[in-house]
Amino acid sequence: MTEKKYLETHEWYSLTNKTITIGISDYAQGELGDIVYVTLPEVGQEFIKGDSMVEVEATKTVAEAYAPMDCVITEINPILDSKPEVINTDPCGEGWMVKAEVKNLDDSGMLYQEYESFIS
Amino acid sequence: MSDPKLSPLHEHHLKNKAKFIEFSGWTMPFSYSGTLKEHSYIRNDIGYFDVSHMGRLKISNSSMIVLNTLICSDIKNLPVGKALYSIFTNENGCALDDVIFWKFSNYILLICNASNTDKITNHLNEKNVCYDDITKNTALVAIQGPNALKVLDKLVTIPESFSCLNGEMYTYARTGYTGEDGLEIMINIENLDKLISFLEINNIQPCGLGSRDTLRLEASLPLYGFELSENITPIEAGLKWTVSNTESYLGHQIIKNQIDTGNHKVLKKFIIDSRNIARTGTEVRAGDVTGVVTSGNFSPLLQKSIGFVLLETEPDTDLLEFEIRGNFIEGKIQKKRFIS
Repeated sequence: MTEKKYLETHEWYSLTNKTITIGISDYAQGELGDIVYVTLPEVGQEFIKGDSMVEVEATKTVAEAYAPMDCVITEINPILDSKPEVINTDPCGEGWMVKAEVKNLDDSGMLYQEYESFIS
Repeated sequence: MSDPKLSPLHEHHLKNKAKFIEFSGWTMPFSYSGTLKEHSYIRNDIGYFDVSHMGRLKISNSSMIVLNTLICSDIKNLPVGKALYSIFTNENGCALDDVIFWKFSNYILLICNASNTDKITNHLNEKNVCYDDITKNTALVAIQGPNALKVLDKLVTIPESFSCLNGEMYTYARTGYTGEDGLEIMINIENLDKLISFLEINNIQPCGLGSRDTLRLEASLPLYGFELSENITPIEAGLKWTVSNTESYLGHQIIKNQIDTGNHKVLKKFIIDSRNIARTGTEVRAGDVTGVVTSGNFSPLLQKSIGFVLLETEPDTDLLEFEIRGNFIEGKIQKKRFIS
């Protein structure tokens, strides 16, 4: 698995061969506050880079997570249906959202150090 | 625009690592340990909110007769030592603000929404009501929860429900905005350290405006700007019980007509059997009747989505259909309170 990279819209992704795993950053979950509901896409659904893939409902607001590159969903995190709060407690681990097959590789995300300076 | 105002407790909030939001021209804590955790402190134990952003006006008793012509409730006949929830109306019978009064022997304390303080002071000026704006010189802290009175008993004499007392240090009432028992305490800022020490010694947890909103929704309490506005009457907002003023007040004829005819918009509580939140502005249908969500959020107690919807007229069904970002989600009108 490659090192996690981050987008300006606060998603993270990591690549393993042609599979991408996607979640939201610790900064994003902190800004959103308590997450109570997540609307995930369906396996097989196709996204173009920048499309809204996931809706994250927090008590404060609703936010969207966007596709970091063109991809097709292969797996969704089953824990999030009953325990959406794992995105708060472990956003970059257990709180991953979807896995997808990459259709058009675009590995232009920021490394953590760059992302950290982006959010500070 | 001028810089946002800071509460007299701001340094204390910084020490407690509050996350802040801008609210009605003030920088106030949104949360500390997280909205759900803070919600739980208040529902199950004790917690406190800094509500110093709310306007505090000391109204002279000599202005009582005029004041009574501006609100839908009867403050003239309210006994001294009682608190009163009421609504300032406009000539259309709609809400200029919803407020709390604490009636003392020598003055009436008016507590208004931060977003409406300028509007209310201008309104009082126009009507020649004599008042002293003490917002800047005082702090207001709401200590709430099932264990609140047990702890507060060490600080002050506990009044009866919806009653107020004026002590040497603290001016307070047994009122709140969470559905739990507790006190709202006003103190002059020069004595504020004493109240802060009390909160710290008793390990009372700070709670932000995020949990204040989820708590008031569960308690079915309206929020100005959402359930009430200059286009919504107390009757439409389901607050007929506040209309106790039998004399002439601004817009009273319109309010009387609405009561007599039942011909008006209606505010209903709703529940959705999922965590899909129907937020402010969500369009709703109840059979042929259309409406819009005024407030909606997740209820930590029910683990479901709840809120208020303003419908054009009384519907003949309890079933609701919400359009949430292109999806149609079913819900229903809740007749009972959300919390027991």
